[in-house]
Amino acid sequence: MKFKESLFSRRQFLNGLLGGWLGAFLASILYPVLRAIFPPEKEPDQVILVSSDYAGIPANTVKMFAWGSKPGLLKKTEKDELVAFVGVCTHLDCNVIYLPDQKKFFCACHDGWYDENGTNISGPPPRPLRRLSVTVEGDNIIIKKEGAT
Amino acid sequence: MKPIGSLKRIMAGLAAWMEERLGIEAARDFLRHKTVPQNRHTIWSYTGSLLLLFFSIQVVTGIILAFYYRPTLEEANKSIARIMTEVPLGWVIRSVHFWSATFMIAIVFVHLLSIWIIKSYRKPRELTWMSGVFLLVFTLAFGFTGYLLPWDDLSLAATKVGTDIPRSIPVVGAWMTKFLRGGEDVSGDTLTRFFSFHVSILPLLVLALIAFHVYLIQKLGMSLPVGADEKEEAKRAIPFWPNFVFREMIVWLILFGVLVTIAVFWPPSLGKSADLMAPAPEGIKPEWYFLFLFQTLKIFPAKILFISGDTVAVSLILLGGILFFFLPLLDNRPAGRKGKVITWIAFAFILYAVAMSVWSLLG
Repeated sequence: MKFKESLFSRRQFLNGLLGGWLGAFLASILYPVLRAIFPPEKEPDQVILVSSDYAGIPANTVKMFAWGSKPGLLKKTEKDELVAFVGVCTHLDCNVIYLPDQKKFFCACHDGWYDENGTNISGPPPRPLRRLSVTVEGDNIIIKKEGAT
Repeated sequence: MKPIGSLKRIMAGLAAWMEERLGIEAARDFLRHKTVPQNRHTIWSYTGSLLLLFFSIQVVTGIILAFYYRPTLEEANKSIARIMTEVPLGWVIRSVHFWSATFMIAIVFVHLLSIWIIKSYRKPRELTWMSGVFLLVFTLAFGFTGYLLPWDDLSLAATKVGTDIPRSIPVVGAWMTKFLRGGEDVSGDTLTRFFSFHVSILPLLVLALIAFHVYLIQKLGMSLPVGADEKEEAKRAIPFWPNFVFREMIVWLILFGVLVTIAVFWPPSLGKSADLMAPAPEGIKPEWYFLFLFQTLKIFPAKILFISGDTVAVSLILLGGILFFFLPLLDNRPAGRKGKVITWIAFAFILYAVAMSVWSLLG
């Protein structure tokens, strides 16, 4: 196939070559800078707790553990089951508290409320509290991201 | 109406609005007419813009390092270890910061010595030289304060020695040591203080001085070689923009490539966290740019007549520094005159510094 005329002039070709090279060069500088500025997420894959530390907690109370750098809340339900939440409000990241007498989680920042299952019931929170999966293996309580096996 | 055409008109309108308020046209007009002489000394004028390049690299990498660095006794060393191992490409950032500092100091020396030898400091450029000597001192201060921040054995010993040297200066010495250390001894306060010097006080001073220095260079133009024919030089001069800037870019690109290559293959090490009670490690030496001063201090005996050897050595070094600062006033001959003695002193100094450094490395 033969073109009647060039698709681009020699100048356009050279400018494109030089500009493309310059863009690639700048990207190669920007890449390590951006990588170093934004460190990777440090959420743990799992947290292993010793059962005996958490054995004595009464029903309808929570005990805290560290889920990475966030508070994790291990809750004993009234049926004596263990459930776990990430204790961070889904509205704007404040840490929440469990109020056993009202059976609700409360976020003081913007008056957000969740019921005892972590479902958002009042105030600005858009989603339920994030749940974590809890399994008991021997002497350990293993807490993982929900859905992880 | 074509959309491209209206966009162009909006941009032109915006540019006119800005120009009416900022008046940048004067600066652009200046740059359009700025020329750079082309002669056997032109090569040295690349060192100045190279310093700006390396300084910019220091600013960018330094800011990133400061995101993760913690200037306390317990955490300084650990936080650098974290930068080297956990922060993505953090080791590259630190390595570039380390090597760019080395390059910068080397080029500062080349820059000053070349100006000394070709005598560009002569009237009317005396203040350019003097601000340059301050920039040299601040650059060395950057190196000295930055050296402590990793807080390992070497950096602790270097800082103990370095901050003790001013003590031998008569009258103000003890006070200076106390000021540098934040107390009688090197401690956690010294580390925090050095961090403050390194990331806030020195950058402010250096930025202000660079502005002054570069302003003077723009105002006075590049110097011509001793005895040059001004008309001939004007004919040979090339425009600053774009001809000279493009040539500078080639040099930047090459040295940037060399810098990154060295930084990737030879990242700086990190010793274990310094122990304030531990004996100084054996065979320690300062960074290469302090070696000749280090060796000078070493060869002086403990006592000369009735004065301590250190006081004599430090006083001589200070005197040398003061003479260096006042060079344009000592050699105040018109720019066209030769100055063989000055040239010989420069070469003697280079020879002395190299010989002392080699002696220190071998000794």
